Amino acid sequence: MAADNINPENGEINLLDAKFAACPQPVYAELLEHYRIATTAVLGAPILSRYEDVIWALRHPEIFSSAMDVHLALGSERPMIPLQVDPPTQTRYRKILDQRFSHKRSLELEPAVRRHANQLIDAIIDRGECEFGAAFAIPLPCLTFLSLMGLPHADLDLFTELKDGIIRPPVPGSDLVGAFEHRAATGKRIHAYFETVIDERLAAPQDDIISYLTTAVIDGDQLTRNEVLDICFLFLLAGLDTVTATLGCIVAYLATNPPQRRRFGQEPELVPQAIEELLRWETPVTTVTRVVKQDVMIGSVEIKAGTMVNLLLGAADVDKAEFPDADRVDFERQQNRHVAFGGGPHRCLGSHLARMELRAALEEWHRRIPEYTLKPGETPRFSPSIREVRYLPLVW
Amino acid sequence: MMKVRVDPAKCQGHGRCFALAPEIFQGDDRSHCLIPNENVPRHLEAKARLGKVNCPEGAIRVEVT
Repeated sequence: MAADNINPENGEINLLDAKFAACPQPVYAELLEHYRIATTAVLGAPILSRYEDVIWALRHPEIFSSAMDVHLALGSERPMIPLQVDPPTQTRYRKILDQRFSHKRSLELEPAVRRHANQLIDAIIDRGECEFGAAFAIPLPCLTFLSLMGLPHADLDLFTELKDGIIRPPVPGSDLVGAFEHRAATGKRIHAYFETVIDERLAAPQDDIISYLTTAVIDGDQLTRNEVLDICFLFLLAGLDTVTATLGCIVAYLATNPPQRRRFGQEPELVPQAIEELLRWETPVTTVTRVVKQDVMIGSVEIKAGTMVNLLLGAADVDKAEFPDADRVDFERQQNRHVAFGGGPHRCLGSHLARMELRAALEEWHRRIPEYTLKPGETPRFSPSIREVRYLPLVW
Repeated sequence: MMKVRVDPAKCQGHGRCFALAPEIFQGDDRSHCLIPNENVPRHLEAKARLGKVNCPEGAIRVEVT
């Protein structure tokens, strides 16, 4: 199964293959066994897979830098903050952002998430079936984001369109110029939207993130308007698809594994730990990229300064050297240091918010729809890179 | 006697420790690890170890004297 994704001659692998996205774990196992450094089929960029290599790279931003010129390709005129900025500048941003995205602050949004989840379930429960993405996994994180940012829920469709305009532009996959242009145009619309909101908040501050950013002080300095914009841009891109993808991956797994699914409904105290295990197993954000700042040895191979490197978080999370019985999904796993949220100074800013959202959403879903399966005869479809389940038909 | 300590330079605020063993670990306003009492009572030793082995940054140390 794995072999047809990896070229045995040179360890090349196409990370953007939809088959790989649907079932990456056997490919990871093969990479871990045979290729300490594989390469991507398209650009020939090195791929690190071992847990020890990935976590080491994540913890050494002075070697593995996040400051790359990829923001232009994502429709942003400047690097996104704090994702594409290195310490010590990044550390300054995180000081104020971590406070707003702490475990405690995230819990304040939990009642709103449960309310949104129930509204979405109300709309479908009597139908006995749904496409999980459209009905639940896409709108829920979007509604949470709007609540967090203090924006009107009427903007739900607009936000879905804007983030899709960047992440999956509505042009054929081969039309790279068209995709670039669509992203740039969408980026301008996103900036224009937030420019207006920033003006409104400056005139009349509210208890929301954008007001917080317009007044926040780091080491005596206020954020500039562009800094606030670059943070908002990242929130829109990073905060919606990732939770959508994770909800989809987890529910797709549970829909096809009934004994595990029943435990979700019947043993609520187990849910947080089960979510951690499914984050490990599914690792929806499969890869993060870094650029090497200085020549560095990985095992016996030298990676030259200036090289773009892929850190395959998904492979690290099924590495037997770190996880005994790595290919078994074990809700009772006692040691689980997975890197589904990355690690080192760039540890996912939204991880506490995401964990709360996942727990609240999955608890409400399984309380109200405990018995469900994949619609007979149908197959879920996954998109690569961030493993979003683009088509997940369920019946109950 | 068990003592548990965190290296604040390594902690990145994953929050696994205080999620799994809130009797010993707390989160500060950035969700970084705080240990109000580094002396671990005997009945909580397993909890202290659970926090240590689940820290993705290896920031927690447990010493038995």
